[in-house]
Parts: sequence; structure tokens; C-alpha cells
Amino acid sequence: MDEEDKISDSENQTKPEKMFTLKRWNSVAMWSWDCSTDTCAICRVQVMDACLRCQAESKKDATNKDVTCVVCWGECNHSFHHCCISLWVKQSNRCPLCQQEWSIQRLSS
Amino acid sequence: MSTPARRRLMRDFKRLQEDPPTGVSGAPTDNNIMIWNAVIFGPHDTPFEDGTFKLTIEFTEEYPNKPPTVRFVSKMFHPNVYADGGICLDILQNRWSPTYDVSAILTSIQSLLSDPNPNSPANAMAAQLYKENRREYEKRVKACVEQSFID
Repeated sequence: MDEEDKISDSENQTKPEKMFTLKRWNSVAMWSWDCSTDTCAICRVQVMDACLRCQAESKKDATNKDVTCVVCWGECNHSFHHCCISLWVKQSNRCPLCQQEWSIQRLSS
Repeated sequence: MSTPARRRLMRDFKRLQEDPPTGVSGAPTDNNIMIWNAVIFGPHDTPFEDGTFKLTIEFTEEYPNKPPTVRFVSKMFHPNVYADGGICLDILQNRWSPTYDVSAILTSIQSLLSDPNPNSPANAMAAQLYKENRREYEKRVKACVEQSFID
């Protein structure tokens, strides 16, 4: 027993002592919805609600339910009502917020 | 009749009241939301300081896809303001974006007063004096400031 202790002692002396030991690692994740704004910057209505035009026309489908006014995300990640942005791109094919060329990334209701 | 343009203008008005930018104010005329009256106060540390400059803003049913027509009613002496009060400002023409509202328009015009662009003059005399004889330019602007108190 004594012999073994002596051996391990001598081994410890050769290794440099650790300054500190990592005992716990906490990682923190941040998240947000994948759209830069929740208000359509063109008509100023929440993107999740119907745009001003659709509200005014109060479009109804065959089932007499309000037709959903879909949200449209561009490649630049800016979002608008599809109705609002499609009227604008007829005039200029640029994102109204960042002036990048407008191309649709995805549509959603 | 409520149209998308009119509803948008109601929202612009609400925003202007809830979050008023300093040095500008505006409101629709009593019987027509498509025509607004506005006032821009001359920015501090510019020859326009203390002036109260009145404007009219006329919208079409195509707003916000088309910019409104903005015109100074008060007499102006500025390189980018025409004799009839019309304003030469890119964001009111080819650089218009449907994300602009009345608040953005008025603050842009306010900053145009501080930073004229003498390279695209609407008033050649004002542009020339701004570049070559700043003292005379300031004198002519001050005369407009005083005139703005009266009209």
C-alpha cells in the first residue's frame, strides 16, 4: 500500500497541476419568429390579420368564411401581406424596406 | 366611402398623434382625409430656425403605392423647392416606398431644410447662393422665416 502511494505521488509531481476544472456548462439559446416584423409595413396591419384591402372588401369564399390573407416572406426575410406586396412589385420589383430585389421565399397563412 | 388608401391615412394620423416626431405636425382637412395640412418648424442651428412652414399634402386612392403631392404653402427660399412650393425630393418621386407614411414624409422634408442638395436645384438662385454666398443665402432664408409668421 505504501509502495503504491509513493508511486502515484511521484507521478503527480511530473504532471502539471490543473488551474481549474470545468464543473458545469450552461448554454443559453435565444429565439424569435422567423420574420423581421409582425406588422405589414405597407398597410400597417398585423401580418397575421387580413390586410386593409381585404378588410375593406371583406372577401368571402364559398363557405362564407373570410378568405385568409396570406403572409409573404421575401428572400431578404422581410414579410408583408401577399396582397400588399404583389400590388407594389407590379410597380417596382424591390423590397420596400431594404430595396433588395424582391423574390418570394415562402407564403403562409 | 372607406377605401384602403383612406384607411391607411387614418392609421397614419393615429401614428402621428401617438408618436409625434419633433418639429413637425399634420392633420387631415375637416372634410377630406385625402388632403392634409402640415407644419414643419425650421430645424435648430439652420437659417430656417424659428420658421413655421405650412404645407399641403394631397393623396390619391393609389396611396401608399404612389407618393402624395407635397407642396409648401409658405413662401420658401431653398435650393430644392420650386417657386410654386413643389418639392424636389427623391423619396417623393423615384425613391418612394409604400412603407413611408405622413410622419416619414414630414421628417424627410424637415431634414431637407437642414441639408439642401444644391446639385439638383429647383431654385437655381438659392442653389447658387447656397454654394457661393452663404451669407446672402441665409439672409434670403431669414426673410422667409419672418414671412412664415405672417401667412
